Parts: sequence; C-alpha cells; structure tokens
Amino acid sequence: MSTQFSVEQIKSGFAQSGYICNDSIAMTMFLAYQLEKPVLVEGPPGVGKTELAKATAQFLNYELIRLQCYEGLDEAKALYEWKYGKQLLYTQVLKDKLGDLLKGAHGLAESIDRLHEFGDIFYSEQFLEPRPLLQALQAQRGTVLLIDEIDKADNEFESFLLEMLSDYQISIPEIGTIKARRHPIVFLTSNNTRELSDALKRRCLHLFIPFPDSALERDIIQTRVPGINEKLRAQLVGFVQEIRKLDLKKQPAISETIDWARTLLLLHAEALTPEMVETTLNVLLKHEDDINNVKDDMRTLFNKLFKR
Amino acid sequence: MDRILVDFIKALRGNGVRIATSETLDAIHAVDLVGYRERSRLKSALSATLAKSEEEKARFNTCFDQFFQFNDLQTLAQPPAPQAPPGNRLQQMLNGAQPAAEQAQSPLGQMLMAGDSEAIAAAMAQAASAAKVRDIRVITQKGLYGRRMMMAMGLEAMEQEMWAAEAATDAQQQALGDALRKARELLREEVKHYVERQYLLQASGDSRALRESVMRETSLENLREFKDVQGLVRKLAKRLVATHSRRRKIYQRGKLDVRRTIRHNIPYSGVLLETRWKAKRVDKPKVMAICDVSGSVSQYSRFLLMFLYSLTEVIANVRAFAFSSDLQEVTQWFLRENLDTAIELTLKEVGGGSTDYGRSLDTFTHQCLQQVDHRTTVIVLGDARNNYGDPRTELLQAIHNRARQLIWLNPESRLRWGSGDSEMKRYKPHCSWAEPCQSLNQLERFISNLLRYSQ
Repeated sequence: MSTQFSVEQIKSGFAQSGYICNDSIAMTMFLAYQLEKPVLVEGPPGVGKTELAKATAQFLNYELIRLQCYEGLDEAKALYEWKYGKQLLYTQVLKDKLGDLLKGAHGLAESIDRLHEFGDIFYSEQFLEPRPLLQALQAQRGTVLLIDEIDKADNEFESFLLEMLSDYQISIPEIGTIKARRHPIVFLTSNNTRELSDALKRRCLHLFIPFPDSALERDIIQTRVPGINEKLRAQLVGFVQEIRKLDLKKQPAISETIDWARTLLLLHAEALTPEMVETTLNVLLKHEDDINNVKDDMRTLFNKLFKR
Repeated sequence: MDRILVDFIKALRGNGVRIATSETLDAIHAVDLVGYRERSRLKSALSATLAKSEEEKARFNTCFDQFFQFNDLQTLAQPPAPQAPPGNRLQQMLNGAQPAAEQAQSPLGQMLMAGDSEAIAAAMAQAASAAKVRDIRVITQKGLYGRRMMMAMGLEAMEQEMWAAEAATDAQQQALGDALRKARELLREEVKHYVERQYLLQASGDSRALRESVMRETSLENLREFKDVQGLVRKLAKRLVATHSRRRKIYQRGKLDVRRTIRHNIPYSGVLLETRWKAKRVDKPKVMAICDVSGSVSQYSRFLLMFLYSLTEVIANVRAFAFSSDLQEVTQWFLRENLDTAIELTLKEVGGGSTDYGRSLDTFTHQCLQQVDHRTTVIVLGDARNNYGDPRTELLQAIHNRARQLIWLNPESRLRWGSGDSEMKRYKPHCSWAEPCQSLNQLERFISNLLRYSQ
C-alpha cells in the first residue's frame, strides 16, 4: 500500500469523521493496514463495531462494501451468482444464429467441435453477478469489506471464508481463481452468540471493544451530540456508567447513550432530575424489567452520583 | 529481540492462551512495526495479534504486566534517597555516593552506583539467560537461580571490593562500602523479584497443566480435596458446549425447501434436478438424571450434576432426581440456588438413608414415567448396591421402553459389578448401555457421547 499512517494520524482521522477511539483500536487499525490482515471485532452490541468499519472507509476514502450475515447465507448471496435470466435470454435470442453457425457442418461430431470453438461464452465474466465478496476483490480502488455479525452465519460459511481471508483470493469452479486487485481491508464483527472457529481467529487480528470508560464516553457524546452542555454531559455519562454496574438484562451501549443525550437535548434539559430520567429511561433501557429495576434504585443512584 | 517475544509467547501458552505459529509470525511483524519502546503500544499490538477472545485478553493482560516490567528498574537506578529521613547520616552518605561511583572499581559496583537503569536491565536480562532462569520449574529453585544470576552479573568482584572498603579506615572508603552494601541489597531484592516473576510465568502454567491432568484421572470420590475442581469442570463443560453446539447439519430428509429448490434449479431452466431441504436444527436432548446420593456414591452424583448443569446451552432441560431410601425431585434447587448450595441441599435433604433402589424406582414410575418420552435420555447414577432388597427390574424396563435411551453410570469398576449385594448384573440388560464412571475423564467422555448420540 502506498501511503503510511501513524497511530496518531489514524486516531485524529477517525475523530474527524466523528469516531472517537482509544489507543488500542487505533493500534489495531494501524496493524491491519500495515500487515494487510483482516480484523475480527468483538464486543457487546452497540459499542461501535460496525461504525469502526464505516469510519475506516471514510478515513481512507475507500468504498465500503457490506455483507450482512444471517443463518443460511451461502456462496450465491455472498460471493457470486450467474445471471441466469441473461443467460436464458441470450440463448433464446441467439437460437437463430445457431443455424448459421452450424451451416455446412457434417455430422454431429463436427457440429460439436464448432460449438466448442466458442468456449464457455455463457459462463464468462459478463454473465457473472458479483456479490459483496467478489466486488471487494474486483474493485480497482481500495475497499473496506465489512462482514457483519459473522457469528450469525453457519459454520460452513465460516470455513468458506478462510481462503478469502488468508490469501485474498477466491476459487470459482467455472472460471478459476480470482485474486484481489488490491487487498481490501476486511472487518468481521461478532456478537459472540457462538464461538468462532480457531482457524478463523488465527487468520485475523483480534480487537475487543468493551464499554468505554467515562472520559472516552464524554468525548464521544461531545462529538456526536455537540449541542449538549458540559454539566449535563458529565451527569448523563456518570449515570450511564453507574447503570452499567447494575445487574441488567441488556446494558445500555454507546448508541443508547447517544440517543439518550439527543432526547435530553430535545427536551431542553439543563441538568438531570429523577423525574426527567424516569420519563426518558425507555430510550436507554430496552427491557421492562430493567426499567423497573433502575426506577427502584433511582434514589440511591442519584444520591451516589450527585450528592457531593 | 525476537528471543524475548518467543519467551513471552511460551509464557502465554503456559497460561492457557492458545497461540499458533502463524500468530507468532504476526506478532513479530507487529513488533517490527511498533518497537519495544512504548509499553502501551506494544501491549495493544501484541494483544491484537495473540489473544483472540475476551477471556484470552484478560489472561494476556496479567501475563504481559508480569513479563514486561520496564518500570521497576527505575527504582533500582535511584538508590532510595526519598526513603532516607533528611538530615541524618544516611543522607550525607548518599550525597557522597555520586562521586563514589567513580571510585567503585568493580564493573557491577560502578554500574549500580551510576544508577544506569537501562544498563542494569540489560545486564540482568543477560545474566538471566546465562543462568538459564527460564528453566525454573519448582518453587524451591528460586534461591538457587537468584544466586546464579547475581554471580553471572559479577557479584563476586563487587563483594570483594565492598569488604575491602569497609575494612579501610578512610571515611570516604567506608562510605563507599556502605553504599555498595545497600546497592547489593537492592540488587538482591530486584533479582528475587525477577526470578519470582519468571517462576510465575514459566512454571505456574506447566504445573497447572500437570495438576489438571492429575485431577482428571483421580477418582471422583477423592476429587473434592482439590481446590479448583469446579473451575476444571466448568472448563471441560465449556469445551463440550463448543464442540456440540456447532454440530448443525442439513440432512437429506425432512421438509422440501421449495423456494431454495426453485432458485437453485434456474440454471437447468427450471427443471427441478437438485432438491434443497429445509435445514434441520438438531434437537437438544432432554435429560432426566436419577442420582444415588447415599454414602460414598454421593460424591459421584455431585460431579454428574455439576456437569449437567454446566451444560444448559446444549441440553434443553435437565431434571434431577436424588434418592437414597426414597426418591425426590431436586430440580427446583438447581434452578434457584447456585450449584454448590443446590448440591449441599440435595445431599442434606435426601442423602443419608440406606439405599433402596426398588422403592426409588417405584416412586419415579409413579411421579414421572408419563413425562418420559422418546426424546428423553434417562441417566441413572448409582452402584446398584440394594442391600439385598427387591431390585424391581421390571420398573427399569418400563422406563427403558419409554425413553430414548437409558444409561447407567456405575462408580464401581466392571469387575465388581454383581459382587455381594450389587444388582448391576440384573439391571444391566434393561439399560441402553452401562458404564463405569470413576474419573472426570470418564465422565467427560460419557457426556460427550451422550450429546453425540442423543442428537
């Protein structure tokens, strides 16, 4: 790859595109770029795994190609498919031509020979419908390939990815091996619903994004919700950090904190009050039980946080 | 420098982080890019290339902190000036220590006096490899290796000088002697720490592996003596979950997937040549465990239950029954309490009577036979020693007929089956299979089979 970036450049570049990250994320990106290795990103939902890929694409000014995984995802959806409609249409249109071609041929063997001269016309690249993986390999410019929620896909698909991840190439039976024109930057994200295979992990750099600490979260809120005043920001981040320590079904992630900050901004809140929190808690927590739990603990939480 | 990295990786492996050769190569490339100078950067670079799960990251972090302690040597480099109360003799002596650096003749003495932390660190690393500290295996070797390391650093010459200086009458010489003695103590401390760290890194991993392998072979009856046996059971269970939750296959039977079949046959211009079937999710087995909790067998039951309740991810539902003189369902305790309390409660409430298999089977038949269906696996754990009572084999047969399979686990070895009051020979024909189950290894193998064949 042509340009070199330092870890600081990556960090500030990400910050410009609105993605605030810590050193270990920036370092992993640096290594991924330098070593040309895919990155497996794990962490609880909503900490910005997918955002990281978007930020990288924006930072490098690359195209982002996204492949959302789900159960039953197969090669036809991920890699390539033949354009069956086009193939059928062309054979129908060319039916008449067939007579011209075979004119003067004697016997079956000669006719077949003549047909062979045209090779595998119907199985050439013109009839190939590239899907995300192939698009990423064929792209002229650099691309960022995001394979989202790989843990949702089947085992078979995971094994199928191995060739792509280690050599940046893919084998298509009818055409042969297709090598990447330029190595894409590959992100795989996982929510850990199942253990990924060792073979896959071995080929990737591994990045675990935990919930952010309060300083980082304050920075994130500042960039994403710029209109919010400093006092409220500190308060709401403190509150969210405190909530994460409770025993909840689903802990509020960064995206929820951002949503909450936006909500409070819309309501023209100046500072957190228990009433305000109570009415907007459903933005932050997504389970009835969790909401009730926090409501019960509200007073102790507030005492702990703001009684100084 | 790669040598350090390889040692670090060895230490990581000892601590249970799995690292392949290709990952080692990645780490070397990464270090080439990042360098050793900045600790936090080195840490995140190595973490990205070597530790590949949340759990491994945690292990990596502790291991890294122990292995790369760049900062300690700073304290060695600056003799403990802050500790000395100001104004006393010590302080004066330390003030005189700087010029003393030039006076010290032995290389080690000079180095320590000059307080050159990098030189000391390098010398220590060199001495460590000369003394082969990384081979340390047993805790009692610590003193030996520490001594060897100090020798390799040139302690002898320095001590000679120290003694000579102390013997001299010259005040400056004596100050030098004092300073040297203090420096030696500091160095000794530092070396001790270093060796200790090496021991923790190199040997504790190995010894843990050794202990685990011993634990797995030990008879379950004695296993309670070991401290972290629960941790081991959890680890084994996790591995079972990992292998068996992965097994999901599409079989060539079941329901035709019309949509996918049509889609797939477009290349044959719509003629349905190849069929596609709906992916069939593998059923999770339903398990009913009937455990003898009397006397010595109770320990075996404890481990079976521990295992089964660690496997909730791959077993749909486990119902536990315990019996000695009569049978009682104990599932609710396992659902409500934590594992330890539940087991203790079970042993307290149900255990202790004289064993009566006939009566217990009778109770089971009355209570639950209706709920045993073709998806249920019934596991009986017991030694089949019925105190010469009526074994009621026909009841076992009835259970066997309804269940998908009935498995008998016996903590006694096969040779003793049928001896004395053991009814094993009479129960065995009514079981799908019967197996001895004496160590964690056997138990793990059994459960692995259970998961494999009941799917």
